[in-house]
Amino acid sequence: MNTHNPAFQPVPQEDLAWLGTDPIPAKPYYDPAYFELERKAVFMRTWLQIAHVCELPEPGSFIRREVEFANASVLIVRGKDGVIRAFHNVCTHRGTQLVSAETGRQAAFSCPYHMWTFSAEGALLSAPDFGQFNLDKKDCSLPSIALDVCAGMIFISFAEKPEPLRESLGALAERLEALPVARATTFHEYVYEIDANWKLTYDNFQENYHLRFIHPRSAGAGTGPENPFGYPVRYAFHGQHRTQIIWSNRGAPPPPAPALLAYGKAAEAAAANGVLVSQDAKDYFALFPNFFLLGSPLQHFSHVVMPISATRSRGVIRLYWIGDDGSATERFAREYLMATARDIHAEDRAVIEAGQRGLSSGALKHIHFQTQEVLCRHLFRSIDAKVEAYKVEIGLAAEALV
Amino acid sequence: MSRLLPAGFEVLEPFAARWAGETAMERAHFRAAYPEAERDAFYTACAPLLKLGLARLDEKPLAEQDEVEQRLMRLLLTFAHVSLAVELQGPDEHKHARLRVSMRIVRATADC
Repeated sequence: MNTHNPAFQPVPQEDLAWLGTDPIPAKPYYDPAYFELERKAVFMRTWLQIAHVCELPEPGSFIRREVEFANASVLIVRGKDGVIRAFHNVCTHRGTQLVSAETGRQAAFSCPYHMWTFSAEGALLSAPDFGQFNLDKKDCSLPSIALDVCAGMIFISFAEKPEPLRESLGALAERLEALPVARATTFHEYVYEIDANWKLTYDNFQENYHLRFIHPRSAGAGTGPENPFGYPVRYAFHGQHRTQIIWSNRGAPPPPAPALLAYGKAAEAAAANGVLVSQDAKDYFALFPNFFLLGSPLQHFSHVVMPISATRSRGVIRLYWIGDDGSATERFAREYLMATARDIHAEDRAVIEAGQRGLSSGALKHIHFQTQEVLCRHLFRSIDAKVEAYKVEIGLAAEALV
Repeated sequence: MSRLLPAGFEVLEPFAARWAGETAMERAHFRAAYPEAERDAFYTACAPLLKLGLARLDEKPLAEQDEVEQRLMRLLLTFAHVSLAVELQGPDEHKHARLRVSMRIVRATADC
């Protein structure tokens, strides 16, 4: 039997030559005008992961999500028919926000102002003295927002007629469906706000060049003498989405006892749930534009970087689990694995903000991505292509008006 | 005097009142909130009892645990955070604590 493991070799530049090596303009990482184009060309048109079906277990279950870049409050509800729908959280009478609770369960939603009452399916059920209006109730339903589900994850789009979600995800949809997130029933969540552009923030989490400097203690088996920067084994590009296969140091010292206990219990639970062995356990999915998911069944986390303004963003990180805590040991394992992920993510925020301060000074015309930062380059190119196409589109529209 | 923890965990009694955080955010906060010497004393007392404590609690479904068992559970959950301070961050823990403040834990399975 051949047991020889070839030494790690980083992905060569020639394999990635099609993405170029040019410097990248710095302005898109701080300029409010570029952000506005990005907002319209990308975020107001693209599927965005915003919730999970496990948050809406029963008819009438609802969640409210504030989406700052769209200036929208979104109400996501499971109807009596079991279908999950998204609506603008606005009463169709005079625009008052219907729901102030973040989550809950109710059969109907009444506006506090004049008591217009809507069903969980968005229809106007009743309105006091409705005869005084020259209206038909069927024309007064809550304004809907496109919603679709893949792998248990709820995506919304502010586009009127978005491309079907599965077409947008392509072959990745099937791979996502095979991951634990598709069967998750609960999760841990931690959030952060950051004074940084969403791309600058997101890029930090799709390159490993910084690991040894920013995570000297927490990187663990992510780096090693053979691969000191912890570069990935492989990159793959799927249209506007991308994946990388994570490298790990098999010769790393064993982790401390609580970590061994936690990973051991997580592996036991994953095996019992039939998700321990997966072709994508080492894959890190980057779905366009702002979503990550780590395929590992032991620390199965997603990370969404939601833009707020050109230089402010919010990160939402979740560790998904199948089933409630089944025992004290499982409860401990889950909390420990959440805490270790949080330790690592916490180390990134300050240095990203430092990067933003430098970029926002306007001192640089360009920034640079090396070969192993190719995923950042791919994101910029994907975004910029949309922005350029949008500029042409509105240029054409302006000409058409003349 | 009534015990705060199940029998066999007397060595953890001095920590039971202050270290058994009610929520994951509170438990994570305790990691850096108390004097380092007290944190280290908690770590030293709890580390050898972690497996034993979990095995003791695993004998009964979580929903059926009484008050002292629930407190032991929360104490061991705080230990998850404290162990990272001692075993992983070591001398960098003080600096690291400032970085963690912005990472707000808003949901944990133990708190649901």
